[in-house]
Amino acid sequence: MTQQKADLLQGTLDMLILKAVSLGPLHGYGIIQRIRQMSEEMLSVEQGSLYPALYRIEQRGWVTAKWGLNETGRRAKFYTLTRAGARQLEAEEASWDRLVLAVSKIRQAT
Amino acid sequence: MRWLNILRARLRALAGREAVIRDIDEELRLHVELETEANIERGMSPAEARRAARRSFGNYDSVRATAYEVRGGGMLETLWQDFRYGVRTLAKQPGFTAVAVLTLALGIGANSTIFSFANGVMLRPLPYEQPERLVVLDEAAPLRGIDSLGVSFPNFLDWRAGNRVFEDIAAYGTGTFTLIGGGEPEQLRGARVSAGLFEIIGVAPVSGRTIRAEEDRPGNETVVILGHGLWQSRFGANPAIVGQTISLNNRPHTVVGVMPPGFRFPEVADLWLPLALDTQRWTRTDHGLGAIARLKPGVTLEQAQAEMVAVARRIEELNPVTNEGLSVSVSDLRAGLVGDYRQSLLILLGVVGCVLLIACVNVANLLLARASARRKEMSIRAALGAGRWRIFRQLITESLVLSALGGALGLVLAVWGLDLLLAAVPVEFPFWMKFNLDGRVLAFTVGVSLLTGVVFGVAPAWQASKVDLNETLKEGGRSAAAGAGRGRLRSLLVVVEVALSLVLLVGAGLMMRSFLRLQQVDVGIDPTNVLTMSVSLPQAKYAEPEKLSAFYQQLLERARHLPGVQAAGAVSNLPLSGSRWGRSLTVEGRPVLSVGEAPSINHAVITPGYFRAMGVRLLAGRDLNEADAKDAPKVTVVDERMAREYWPGESALGKRIRFGPPENNEPWHTVVGVVGEVRHERVDAATRMTVYVPHQQIAVRQMTLAVRAAADPAGLAAAVRQQVRELDPDQPVTAVRTMEEVISSAVWQPRLHALLFGVFAAVALILASVGIYGVMSYAVTQRTHELGIRMALGAQKGDVLRLVAREGMALALAGIGLGLLGAFALTRFMSSLLYGVSATDPSTYAAIVVLLAGVSLLACYVPALRATRVDPMIALRHE
Repeated sequence: MTQQKADLLQGTLDMLILKAVSLGPLHGYGIIQRIRQMSEEMLSVEQGSLYPALYRIEQRGWVTAKWGLNETGRRAKFYTLTRAGARQLEAEEASWDRLVLAVSKIRQAT
Repeated sequence: MRWLNILRARLRALAGREAVIRDIDEELRLHVELETEANIERGMSPAEARRAARRSFGNYDSVRATAYEVRGGGMLETLWQDFRYGVRTLAKQPGFTAVAVLTLALGIGANSTIFSFANGVMLRPLPYEQPERLVVLDEAAPLRGIDSLGVSFPNFLDWRAGNRVFEDIAAYGTGTFTLIGGGEPEQLRGARVSAGLFEIIGVAPVSGRTIRAEEDRPGNETVVILGHGLWQSRFGANPAIVGQTISLNNRPHTVVGVMPPGFRFPEVADLWLPLALDTQRWTRTDHGLGAIARLKPGVTLEQAQAEMVAVARRIEELNPVTNEGLSVSVSDLRAGLVGDYRQSLLILLGVVGCVLLIACVNVANLLLARASARRKEMSIRAALGAGRWRIFRQLITESLVLSALGGALGLVLAVWGLDLLLAAVPVEFPFWMKFNLDGRVLAFTVGVSLLTGVVFGVAPAWQASKVDLNETLKEGGRSAAAGAGRGRLRSLLVVVEVALSLVLLVGAGLMMRSFLRLQQVDVGIDPTNVLTMSVSLPQAKYAEPEKLSAFYQQLLERARHLPGVQAAGAVSNLPLSGSRWGRSLTVEGRPVLSVGEAPSINHAVITPGYFRAMGVRLLAGRDLNEADAKDAPKVTVVDERMAREYWPGESALGKRIRFGPPENNEPWHTVVGVVGEVRHERVDAATRMTVYVPHQQIAVRQMTLAVRAAADPAGLAAAVRQQVRELDPDQPVTAVRTMEEVISSAVWQPRLHALLFGVFAAVALILASVGIYGVMSYAVTQRTHELGIRMALGAQKGDVLRLVAREGMALALAGIGLGLLGAFALTRFMSSLLYGVSATDPSTYAAIVVLLAGVSLLACYVPALRATRVDPMIALRHE
């Protein structure tokens, strides 16, 4: 792995999780894989912080959890994005875009 | 929605802790397994793959704990844990727990007791239909400062016709009725009410009907409505009673209705008859009725008041002679009924609040002392990772457990206290005043307990949770810096406690002094060995005045011959018994005064022998005697005050007065004697002048006998009753009391205040001295080492004693100073409850300061004495 890893910015974990499950139901391990995949191996979510974040999101009603079977036939808990979760994701992405725009404007200023 | 999710998760976590943890475990295990498999695929050996998966996962237990917390293991679970831990800790220290719970129970119990009393008097809704629209009306004479003159019948009729603010107005008067037949003759209290009264109040009879308008006319008034209690006790709840005829005051009356259980109006009526007054006989100057009205919807009390003042002015213009200066007062029904309880209840609530505050301070002090002993425990908890907030929360939970226990015990005390309190109040409460532990009292107690727990728990918990691991370790077994901070807080609490007790003690001192003054008041009679009882002769049997006079004359003659009797007489309105009677009078040669201007004069009809029986001093002229008969020249005796006010500088003897309105032309009565002033209405103030007239010349139906005996008169009651029965077997006797009892119940309120203040102040004093004692013994223990060194260096016992006592007394004196300021500021609120002593009475203040200082000194002295017994060798080894 030659690529440099990026640090995960505080507060973005929720957005990443929501984004990951927005493409279809996933279990916890799958979410980490999906995030790594989507970031082209640049981002890896710390496994220890995933589950507390996931439970918090579940309590806020942005995802629902259901026990099911995974591709190898083992019991796993799958997380599905709710409508409220989709709205939240949209809002967080918009705010993220604004932040990126603002920061890059500042950096380009002379 | 979100909070609902969280709450659901929390409850689920609380109920199924195991299930939640299993759920988390399964999920996390799967994660590790999948990671292991991925590692194997990457070419690791199984063991290596598993290790790597574990490593990359991080601290499994910590993740699991965090996850559990998020999943709802938080608050409720912690609370439950803290609660169980608190209960265990408290159970391990039964001594501390007992003292703290008992202290709190005293404070909370006192509050709940007074509150349940206040609840019954002020808060419970009246049992009438929309009671907030009910008002009482009365005639007032603003120029003379009188707001309750009693209503006259013609004025009432004009009010009813002339206003637009009330749905209706009804008038009523109370009276006694003798019921004969089916058992002992019984004297009942009832009311004569105008038709419409029941409709105004909004209570319908359970059977039969109310009074009809045509029955409310002279001649048609032979119907009666029974109270539920009377119907049950006297008529065996006979369902066919409506329509039957019963004998009241020796006249047949038809029962037309029975009221529902618990209904009474005015406060003490058992039966109701039509008012049926004759406008020819009842003039505008015959005040004495009560009036109740229902406001039209949307009309305020102020609007009604304004309207009625205007109505009164119109009546005054049309009837200048009788109504000059008269107005109408409109007041809220409850305010009219509980008027004078209100203030003393509020003051008592303040007092018990103060007691509770002292209890809180004491428990806070105990907790602070305990916190020092628990510092090791706190350090260990902190070292294991408990945050300050976590420790604080746990300690507060412990306080709440204490206060909940205190509250529960306090509630038990309140049940008992309320019984005692009610037993100490000799008045008959209006039927709607019910005193029991209802939801409101319960809610109050729970609220007060919670608040109490927080109030006494916060400061100690905050202090105790401030654990500095380094400091604690460095200090070893002794305390230095943090200990000093704790000591300061405890000292401050003692100062507050002493100050609060001083305020209460001063209040109690003033109340007791005032009560003692009241006991020494010369009410103008000698109540020792005087027995009193009431006899009311019915109209039907004793129609003529001669018959009335003859009955009382014979009865008294018989009574005088009973063994041990020194004198016997009778009076129409016994002093201090609450009965009032007044009539207007005209003095010969003086301008006639309108009702609005004329002073109200107490009018007492007496028999010969009354003054001697009651011990009223004859100052000039002669006593009334049997020769002052119906046909003899009309005579009267006036009291000293009346003689002085009407005939200043000359003798009242030989002057003439006559009663009733001037146009009545009643005969003149000549003043033949002047007697000392008797306090008829209140012990604490002379209210009205009194004029006495002989029973033979103005006969009255209801008289109260006064029999003076040589010794304790209680045994005479049966003998006098027997004499009544021999004269008329159908004649009941009521209200048998010694005159001392009559006077004593007239001052029940000051006595109760003195008693309650005394009890509460005593509790405060005990708590405060326990507080000082606790702080001083703690300080001595802390300084054992230092005191040992001092004594090793040659300090004498006296030096040590002074050193320690001085420190304690400094706190006590600071508290006394602060308390004096508080007392000066607060006692003036109770000045209306005081008699013959000012709210800033210097001698009371001085006595209380000395008392409190003395008790404080004692509380310091005991620990100080212990300090002098310190053996220097042991103290130095105490390290």
